[in-house]
Amino acid sequence: MYKWLDERLDLTGLYQKVLRKAFPVHHSFFLGEITLFAFIVLVLTGVFLTLNFEPSIREVKLPDGRTVPAAYASVLYIDSLPFGAVIRSLHHWSAHVMIAAAFLHMLRILLSGAYKKPRELNYLVGLALLGLAVVTAFTGYALPYDNYAVTATRIGYGIAGSIPWIGSTLAQVMFGGEFPGSAKSIPRLFSLHVLWLPLLLMALIGGHLAIMMKQKHTQPRYAERVAPGKILGVPMYPQQMVMMGILFALYVGVMTFIAGAFLAHPIEAFGPPTPNTPAVKPDWYFLWIYGILQLIPSTWEFHLFGATIGPEFIGGAVVPGILALVGLLLPFVDTRKDKMRYMELPSERPVRTSVILALLMFFLMTSLAGYKIDFQQQGSILGNNAVLWTLVLGGPLLTYLVSYTLLRIFYGKKGEQEEAAL
Amino acid sequence: MDERELRLRTSRRRLFLKTAIGTGIGLSLVSAFYVGASLRPKAEVTPEKEPLKPGDILVYAQGGGEPKPIRLEELKPGDPFVLAYPMDPKTKVVKSGEAKNTVLVARYAPEELSPEVAQHAVEGVVAYSAVCTHLGCIVSQWVADKKAGLCPCHGGTFEFAQGARVIAGPPPRPVPQLPLKVEGGVLVAAGEFLGEVGVKAEGGHCHHEHV
Repeated sequence: MYKWLDERLDLTGLYQKVLRKAFPVHHSFFLGEITLFAFIVLVLTGVFLTLNFEPSIREVKLPDGRTVPAAYASVLYIDSLPFGAVIRSLHHWSAHVMIAAAFLHMLRILLSGAYKKPRELNYLVGLALLGLAVVTAFTGYALPYDNYAVTATRIGYGIAGSIPWIGSTLAQVMFGGEFPGSAKSIPRLFSLHVLWLPLLLMALIGGHLAIMMKQKHTQPRYAERVAPGKILGVPMYPQQMVMMGILFALYVGVMTFIAGAFLAHPIEAFGPPTPNTPAVKPDWYFLWIYGILQLIPSTWEFHLFGATIGPEFIGGAVVPGILALVGLLLPFVDTRKDKMRYMELPSERPVRTSVILALLMFFLMTSLAGYKIDFQQQGSILGNNAVLWTLVLGGPLLTYLVSYTLLRIFYGKKGEQEEAAL
Repeated sequence: MDERELRLRTSRRRLFLKTAIGTGIGLSLVSAFYVGASLRPKAEVTPEKEPLKPGDILVYAQGGGEPKPIRLEELKPGDPFVLAYPMDPKTKVVKSGEAKNTVLVARYAPEELSPEVAQHAVEGVVAYSAVCTHLGCIVSQWVADKKAGLCPCHGGTFEFAQGARVIAGPPPRPVPQLPLKVEGGVLVAAGEFLGEVGVKAEGGHCHHEHV
């Protein structure tokens, strides 16, 4: 059988060419794989969900007599199917895991300097993937059309609409008219969520992996000691594939357990949309933007060439935009001549490591600011804007100083010695 | 560059190929424009999406069942505000299809109101657009000790007795007031909103093209 196929498809050639490629092993290298597994599970569960989901807000009658939007009713129906709610939860939690794993994967790349020449291109593809993953998650948010989802999506519509000059058109194209209200919104968000964005994601993931194969994975630091100048690792087949298979099976098992134990986004409890806005909190990966929106006072508004640059644009688009721009430019600023083969240790680059830690502190503190209303209602000192601003600006600064000092004290000498030895 | 390459550069065959490829790409790009033009949805106005008009009766937005007009005596000073939709007095269609028609109605003691606000109020009852000017959420919580409305999305707080002055949070401007009158004991819109409803439109022409 193998012989028959091999004569026609040259399987041995494929095996020698591709499947014997050596892949380095390091625990931090599994983050990208987990992102991929989460994406595969998202596609599979997503395909299942489309079988019963109705992308429409026309009014339908529920068996109990309530009149609700059809999308909401169809998600209630999915939840009522055997394991339907588990599969929907698995879809929801996998989206969280995909974004978290992609973010941690990016942190690994940043901390180990793997974005440098020759990997600038793949780093940019990776950033695009992270951005697209977040956008895809956002377009899926409105689909159940419950009160909570509608409110959260409405904020996104507001942010898109606040972009100067093009905002209104952009928001209308993205959301298919005014959100909420337009009957075309859900069909459009549905199409983006299940067709356009996943196809784009698949294409970019394919490109991401192909470039990685072509350029070869960065080698962990121990490889330099064990076999300098050589590529160290296990072959793709069978070793690497077995590891991946085990990890994928583990992922599915653990996530299904979590999905069964913790039902995601209970739309029955949230109820269909009402004129009332519930007190919403966005998902954790939007919480920092949400926090910034609460920190910026209403007075931050100015006019430029006939457009209004308001606090919602500054908080919702300018601040994240600046961070994205810095990320995009990083490999073109932090350059060096030789091609990089080995990972750098975070301790060798105290400035970069400290900046990344400071950035993490910034995300934490702005996320904390996302709870401003709750702090105010409890009468906590954290409800005060000045206190929050101090934390948001002072926290990262302090983190940088402490981290830099500690790295210098503990690793400073060692790093210099290694540099001298090289 | 060898002779062959030079000859190819000036050859008619090369020129023809380049022209053909260029024309093909150009024409397909031009023909792709109409796809872009249909990305933007048409504004379709159904009766329940009509904008608010003077003379519309305000009915309770919540509660379900038959539309119930808001009667003046049902509101007490200091009580939380109620959310309302306009109802066409002739066709009895409740215009709840358009989020921007959401109105909030609160009652104060008449002496609490600033003179400008009182002009458009009836016996201490004031009405405002409920659409937050920050990011378009519905102002839906009542802050009893400040007698103000809170938008739970980002904490914008509006003091309705003082023209919906922003007293906390990020909204760039007050929500616009709606002039009121009483006809047959029920609240009726006496005019249109005294300002732009919701998030300020960028690019300018979208939000009002159906008006």
